[in-house]
Parts: sequence; structure tokens; C-alpha cells
Amino acid sequence: MLLKPSKAKNARAKRFLVNRDPKIVENGKTALFVRGSTTSQVILDTLKDLYSLRKPDAINFTKKNEIHPFDSETSIEFFARKNDSSLFAVGMHSKKRPHNLILGRTFNYSILDMIELGVERCTTMQEFKAQTCAVGMKPLMVFNGEAFNQNEDLVRLKSILLDFFRGEAADKVSLKGLEYVITVTAGPPGANGETGLVFFRTYTTTLKKSGSRQPRVELEEMGPSLDLRVRRVRAPAEEMWKQAIKMPRELNVVKTKNISRDGLGDKYGRIHVGKQEINKIQTRKVKALKKHLDAKPAKKQKTSDDMADSD
Amino acid sequence: MDVTGILDEHKNRFKSIQVERLVPVEFDLGLMACFDVNMIDEAQLRASQKARDTYLQELSREGAQLMINELFSLPTTVDEDSVYATLPAIRTVLPREKPAPKEKPMTRWEKFAKIKNIQNKKKSRMVYDEEKAEWRPRFGFKGVNNDDQKPWLIEVPGNADPYDDQYKARREEKKERIDKNARRAQRNFEENLAVEKGMKPRDMRKRELQSALVLSKGSTASMGKFDDKLAGEPKVKGLKRKFDPLVKNSDKEKSNNMEILNRVSKGEAKTTSVVNVRKAQRAINNAKRSKKQEK
Repeated sequence: MLLKPSKAKNARAKRFLVNRDPKIVENGKTALFVRGSTTSQVILDTLKDLYSLRKPDAINFTKKNEIHPFDSETSIEFFARKNDSSLFAVGMHSKKRPHNLILGRTFNYSILDMIELGVERCTTMQEFKAQTCAVGMKPLMVFNGEAFNQNEDLVRLKSILLDFFRGEAADKVSLKGLEYVITVTAGPPGANGETGLVFFRTYTTTLKKSGSRQPRVELEEMGPSLDLRVRRVRAPAEEMWKQAIKMPRELNVVKTKNISRDGLGDKYGRIHVGKQEINKIQTRKVKALKKHLDAKPAKKQKTSDDMADSD
Repeated sequence: MDVTGILDEHKNRFKSIQVERLVPVEFDLGLMACFDVNMIDEAQLRASQKARDTYLQELSREGAQLMINELFSLPTTVDEDSVYATLPAIRTVLPREKPAPKEKPMTRWEKFAKIKNIQNKKKSRMVYDEEKAEWRPRFGFKGVNNDDQKPWLIEVPGNADPYDDQYKARREEKKERIDKNARRAQRNFEENLAVEKGMKPRDMRKRELQSALVLSKGSTASMGKFDDKLAGEPKVKGLKRKFDPLVKNSDKEKSNNMEILNRVSKGEAKTTSVVNVRKAQRAINNAKRSKKQEK
């Protein structure tokens, strides 16, 4: 006998499972911050600061894990499933790849794509004296450089970073809440055409009067400020990517024509009536309205006129 | 009267919000992101740390200013505490976290009800219990259908044995109903699983039964050797062992031995590209079946 998947035993467990089920409109992605088996202070600082930018939709693992996402996917996929998260940042440090930061995302609990970055320099939030922004704010994101449209690795990096910091999907934003800016700038490429450094900077904003509707922005560096070198990149499998960007049918709402509602909730419909052919309409049957009766006197008139002419 | 002078003076009191860009900057306001493809001063980026950081800050300020200009000209709604800009839909394609939810497969009853156009009548969850003068759930914890003592006196049916326990019969009848429902749920689950795998429910059930039978045969001490044969019992295909003849071509023997030596010294994977035929066949079959199901 095939075993049915076990059902939730109580309402709380059921609610928990329903919350994990796929949804038509998804909630914000949760990010996982994992330390590898060996780490450096630089990579720890980087992880800590990225975590504080991602809060509260983030889970920070404070213990070391024997984890190498590029070599074996199983453990990161296991963590993703356990924590119901779809973004991950893994930090590690080795002689071959010093200060290694891996950013990636999963689709349906299996790795979609990831990018490995070497952190060449990290200035933490603590080192800057600027005030940090409030927790859970959405950032403005600025990408500078044509390389973000041309270089394949940087296109991937742009997509991952956008996903990482976009936060929950929103249809409106408080104009007071534009508190910080993340800018990512593509540095000049190397002599042999290899991808150049990528400068990741974060600033807090202050909005000042400008005499018009739009305010003037001033920035102050908040940290973390990272100089990143792109290392290995794992592009998504084509089939998986197709699946991942597929929109549910329910979201592609076809607008119904000719139906509108007013502010009071009343429904209005506009109806198109075919052309009215008045000549063919069946009217009351009266002798006087018969066709041949109209026609006859006209004919008579004509004949009398003719006669008059001939006279 | 010329007002332009006064206006200019008013404007000059503030710093400018205009940013000049050769190529217009692309926005994705739904994500609050902008993509600037204009030339970057590479000399500045290669310069000292301090010069680079001030250059980056200026670059970022201009980018942020462009975006703020866009965001502040979006249509707004006013709430009690703040002004909200209405964001347009996002334009960048970003992957989802999980695939779109699948529709729940219909049970046999639901299919039947649909054909017969039977509508589901909604019953209230709570029922009034007159005896206890309170509202109680129709079923579940403290539900009215859990009352085994109700009615507490049962009339013995005319044709029944007077010594039968009617209370026990009532309990068993209820248990029977619950079991029947569980069996139906199991059947619905199996049938829907078969459809999902692209098989006929009957075929899948047959296969399940046969594999269960084969397993149970091996569970006696003699591995089912002396068991009675069932009608239409599947024949178990074991692995057939093939042995090479004792006397054969010496070249072949030599090459075989060399292969073994190589495998020992260099490792399995490097020397031979062995394919497990059965495993490969299974993988192909699975792929075919899943393709069929997509159609």
C-alpha cells in the first residue's frame, strides 16, 4: 500500500505547513547566512554586516559548517529546506580562495544559481560613524557601469543582488522611508579582459529642501563597503530558470472589456447593439400601412401629371 | 514686471537637483533600482583609496538623486502618518521562490458531484444541544457526534438476539464508517498519484501488488521455495550470472587481466567508463514518463 503523506496533527502545525506551501503571490525571500569551516575576520565582518542589512528576513548561523556549495549542493539545499529560505550567503576562507563570499539563491529548495566573490577589502558599519538606517527598510539600488549589461558574470551578480536586497514586494513606498542607498559599481576590467573589481557601497540619505517637489539628496557612507572580485559563477540550468520565472496563470489577469465600477461599488456595463434596420422592423399590421397602398396613389398621381403634360 | 529674476534667486538659495547624464538612465521603479550605463571615470577608480571613495560617493549621490526625482514624481496617496508613492510593476525578471501552486486533484465524490451538478450545502459548525442547553461543535473535540451514551436506552430490534450488546453494535458501526472513509481517502490518493505519474490507476495498483508479493515470498526461511504458487504469479527475474569459458583466446585473457590491474592501481573511475545498464534504462524510462505526464 502506498503511504499517504502524513497530515498535520493540530491546527498550529497545519498553519505552519500551509505557510510553507507555494503561493500565487509570494512572501519576501528569507536569506540564510552560513559560515564555512574556516573563516577570516574579514569574511565574518562581511557576513555580519550583510545580515544586518537583510534583517528581519534573515537567519544567521553562528556556528561553523563544513559546507562547499560549488562542490556539493546537498547541505545548502538541506538548510534551505529546513529554514524555508531561498537566498543564501556562505562565507569561508582558504589559502586558495581567501575571504570567499558565495551569494546564491534556490528555487524549490534546490540551488538555482550562485556567484563566488573574493572580498578584497571590507570596511564595516562600525568603522563608519554615520547613523545606520532603521531595520527592515527597503534600499534604493544603483548599478553603475555598462558591464552590468554586457559581462555575463556581472549580469548574474546584478540579478542576485537585486533579489537579495529587494525585500518584500510592495506596491507603494513611504517617501519618508527612503533611508539608504546601495550602489554597485563595476570597476575597469583587467588587462586580459577578466572581470574587474566590483565596488559595493552603502550610504544613508538625508533629504533637503530644493525649492521644488523633489528634494535634494545628500549621502553619508554607512557601511559595509566592499571591494569584490568575481570568482566562480554557476548559471542556472535552462529548464529550471524557465520554471522559476513562470508566472502563475492567476496573476495574468485579462482585463474584462466594457465593465466598470464607480466609487460606490456600482457596476456599469456598456452594451453594443447591432445596427437597427428600421425598414425591416415588423410593426402593427394595419391595412393602411400596407406597402402597396402607399405605392398606388403615387402611381396615379404620376399618370395624371403625364396626362397634363401631354395636354 | 519680470519675475524670472526673483524665481532664479529663489532657486539659487538651494543646491541643484538636476543631474546630467549623456545616456538616459534606466529605471525599474518597482524594485527602486536604476541602471546607469554611462562611462565611468576609470582613472578615478584606479586612484588612491580616498579619491576612489569620494568619486564613488559623488557617483552614488547622482544616481540616488535621479531615482529620488523619479520616485517623488510618482502618483501619491496620503495616509495618517506618511505620504506613499505608488510603485509601478517591476520590469526586471526575477525568479520565484517556489513554483506556482498546483490545483488539488478532485476526489471521486467531487468528480461525481460535478457531473451531477450537486452543490455543497454549507452546514454550520456549531449545533445547539437542547439537553445541555449550549452550543457544541458538530464533530471533533466535545462534538455532539462523540456522545456514545446518546440515546442511553436502545430498543432491541424485533428480529435481533436479545443477548446481543446493542451498545457495542453502535460503537462498531461508527468505527466501520470511519474506516470506510479512510479506505476511500486512500483510494483517492492512490488514483491521483497514478494519474500524476502518467499511469492507469489499475496498472499501478497491479504493479504495487506484484512487488509486494515478490517481497513477501522472500520472507520465509526457504525464500519462498516451498510456498504454494498463486495463479498468475509474476516470475521473478534474477541476475543471470555468465561465466567465460575456461579455455579461450590468450590475448583476450591478457587484456582482461590488464584491465583488472589498471583498475586496482589507478582507481575505478579513471580506467573504465562503466555504465550501469539497468540504472540507465530506469532513468530513461522515468524521463519518458515525466514527459508524457507534462503533455
